[in-house]
Amino acid sequence: MSSRSSSRRSSARLGRGIALHLFLTPLALIWLFPLWMMVIFSTMPDRGIFSPSIELLPHGNFLDNVNNLQRDTNFIGAIGISVSVAVTYTFLSVLLTSMAGWALARYQFFGKGVVVAIILGTITLPYAVVLIPQFIMVARDFKLANTWVALIVPPLFNSLGVLFMRQSFSMMPGDLFDAARVEGVKEWRIFLFVALPLARPMLAALAIILFLASWNNYLWPLLINSKPGAMTAPVALGTLIGLTKVSWGGIMAGAVMLTVPMLVVFVLLQRHFVAGIAAGAIK
Amino acid sequence: MRYQNATAYRFLAPYLLIFSIFWLWPIISSFLISFQATRTVPWRFAPTFNWGRLIGDPAFFNALKNTLLILVIQVPVMITLAIVMAVLLNSPLLKARGLFRFAFFAPVVVGEVAYSAVFRLMFNLDYGIINKLLNSVGLPRIDWFSNVTPAMAVIMIAVTWRWAGYNAIILLAGLQSIPQDVYEAATLDRVSKLKQFFYITLPLLKPIIVFCAVLSIIGTMQLFTEPFLITERGGPGGGTETLGLLLYRQGFRSLNFGYASAIAYTMAGLAIAISLVQLWLTRDPK
Amino acid sequence: MAAVTLKNVVKRFGVFEIVHGANIDVNDGEFVVFVGPSGCGKSTLLRMIAGLEDISGGEIAIGGKVVNNIEPADRGIAMVFQSYALYPHMSVEQNLSFGLRMNGNPKADTERRVKRASEILRIAELMKRRPRQLSGGQRQRVAIGRAIVREPQVFLFDEPLSNLDAELRVQMRVEISRLHKELGVTMIYVTHDQTEAMTLADRIVVLNAGNIEQIGAPLDLYDDPANRFVAGFVGSPKMNFMAAKVVGNDEGAAIVALANHCGAKLRKPLSGAPPAVGAEIVLGVRPEHFFEAGEGDCDIAVKADVAEHLGSVSYVYANAGPEELIIEREASRQRANGDQMVVSIKAGRSLLFDKSGARIR
Repeated sequence: MSSRSSSRRSSARLGRGIALHLFLTPLALIWLFPLWMMVIFSTMPDRGIFSPSIELLPHGNFLDNVNNLQRDTNFIGAIGISVSVAVTYTFLSVLLTSMAGWALARYQFFGKGVVVAIILGTITLPYAVVLIPQFIMVARDFKLANTWVALIVPPLFNSLGVLFMRQSFSMMPGDLFDAARVEGVKEWRIFLFVALPLARPMLAALAIILFLASWNNYLWPLLINSKPGAMTAPVALGTLIGLTKVSWGGIMAGAVMLTVPMLVVFVLLQRHFVAGIAAGAIK
Repeated sequence: MRYQNATAYRFLAPYLLIFSIFWLWPIISSFLISFQATRTVPWRFAPTFNWGRLIGDPAFFNALKNTLLILVIQVPVMITLAIVMAVLLNSPLLKARGLFRFAFFAPVVVGEVAYSAVFRLMFNLDYGIINKLLNSVGLPRIDWFSNVTPAMAVIMIAVTWRWAGYNAIILLAGLQSIPQDVYEAATLDRVSKLKQFFYITLPLLKPIIVFCAVLSIIGTMQLFTEPFLITERGGPGGGTETLGLLLYRQGFRSLNFGYASAIAYTMAGLAIAISLVQLWLTRDPK
Repeated sequence: MAAVTLKNVVKRFGVFEIVHGANIDVNDGEFVVFVGPSGCGKSTLLRMIAGLEDISGGEIAIGGKVVNNIEPADRGIAMVFQSYALYPHMSVEQNLSFGLRMNGNPKADTERRVKRASEILRIAELMKRRPRQLSGGQRQRVAIGRAIVREPQVFLFDEPLSNLDAELRVQMRVEISRLHKELGVTMIYVTHDQTEAMTLADRIVVLNAGNIEQIGAPLDLYDDPANRFVAGFVGSPKMNFMAAKVVGNDEGAAIVALANHCGAKLRKPLSGAPPAVGAEIVLGVRPEHFFEAGEGDCDIAVKADVAEHLGSVSYVYANAGPEELIIEREASRQRANGDQMVVSIKAGRSLLFDKSGARIR
């Protein structure tokens, strides 16, 4: 190849590279804008938020806003509930889904096809269909409204997680488990001591996605835990939106407290995050 | 492999138990409830009570119309945007890839309530940053929440912002699963980058695009939080009321479980129809 | 230590029967190799002995006890897998002791057994490493070590050397032979590589498409194959087959004429009844059983196509009319493409097969 054509090639690449960044940079800024504004608002006093000037840089009022929020609703308490519920939910759900995924990946059994069909079917079934009877059952029949159990147990069924774990386990070499079987290791010990340790990256991805889902869950906690002392953080924050005498700086501080920890986790564990989300579609 | 019914079901038992109680029974139950008059005590069987009301209820058709409108506009825009994001993020020419990924993927972790609050504030008539920016470049400010069209636009913008990155993640994983040598072969055949996108990338990505579209449609169909919080319970005057919101108000404000169940099954019917379209679109060519 | 007996063992997957009634007697302390092309059912058979596959029909006994309904762990077997199946998240030591620990074996005894296995296999210095830090040969040793630790009555090997390079394969082959002598226990070994089978086995079981073609000592299979499949499978390069015809009988001997070569007739003495005159048969000659022109019973003119020089010998791939022959010659740089040459075969160094492939003895 002559040096002229190679320099023509590299200048064409350069041109395309510049065009790419000229398009993507503004788009990225637009995408970051709401998050940036959330942070800005959370550091501004209410009279600053509701003033005609354009403010795009942080102020120093974050802690005051947290106090205002705490005055409007017991947000710190709600955060406590949200954290405990999300942690418990994540632990139980990871256990349940990986057990089910293991069974579907590694055993031949009667009715397997039916179970898989059910799981696939529920992916496209609107949650609305089960919402009302779930509510009637938990609130009226079990009398569990405004309890942690109500927040944790009904959402334990999830289909994408099971499919993800099934996929993870079936990609592992079967010889590994047969080797343990030949050595007389019981099935539940094979699951616990061979399969789960090998699935650690997948379990991390699953745990992150499940934690996030529980942390951000809104509709179900809104319906079932509506008593002030039993609300999760998103529900507590939601009750303030639309009220007239409320601190918007406080609401924004609450939004930041809900969002920023997740953003940090996202940055630290992006690989697992992306794997967990992408696993839904890529078989 | 050996048949191991007992072992397999021991592992499946907790999961299937949760499924039976909180999904299987509710699926049946809400179907039955939709045929009952639930505002009398005790409930009584009245097959046409809710369904009859449904087909004559202007509020239902308003919600259905709004939901479909959002679906038809928002989902294609978002999926297109997500494809563009995924393809560009996958470009080998991209610098600072991590920053761009963060920008587009970050909304995935933002809760509905938090971002609803931010959007509500950003689009505020007098003090919202959007109107301030419009003003500063000499454009008239828009009364976003008092008129139906801009209110719908805010909903669609918010949902697109929240979910485009999510779909881009899935699509990007799909792109990365396309073997690189296919593109190398095409380059040797003098196929331009643009044609490579249309004749290689898109066809190979089709099942994933359809999957994203179906998940998005089913998600958008149940849209609740955004019209609930951003446009203040579906305002202005029911202009952004969706099926999800109508179900919430019928079921949990008016405690009319029968009617709400009928609405829920209407949504399920739509979802089944869409899934069938998906199966048809991604069928193996004969 | 124990003998292993398979009686009419059948394996079906759904409607497909892939093992059609296998009968094998493995003696106590014997080294038996199952060999055959891929898909012949050899691995399935081994996994049935291990208890990893259900037995669809028939009976498997280990040490005189029928084990059809006994869990793998209680059969007194240990298995070495093709992929080694080492637990990647455990050290070598933990890999070796995992099964014993999980079953509550006394700690002192576990340590003793692990120590002994590591000494036998000379892997003592690797004990703290993880599998990914080991070479292929070392992984193989650990996998075998894990089997030794169980102190089994029967060792099962499922193509254990197929992931190793050629040099290591030879080395590990010797190692496994040594292990068999040292431990003196029954070993059943599955491979598709007939060289491995020939070098390791006391007896070989040749399988094809779910049927046992022949069971016998390595050299018996080589010298006296029961059928055309075994004749072709055992020996490398493969035996040559030429179309032939029975043209006469002579006091229990068949007079055979090759269809495409030399006018001369071969007189082949038989122990059984000779086939009918006019029957079309196949004549088999191993590559090493071609002689210089005139030295045998029948000369064949061939045209060399490709010559492979291995140093000690050369293999000439030659066209002989419509047939292609592989001929072993003394090493020589002279032979080249397109050379004409004449070779000769002897009746005593050939085998006869009928149209169905069965041997005519």
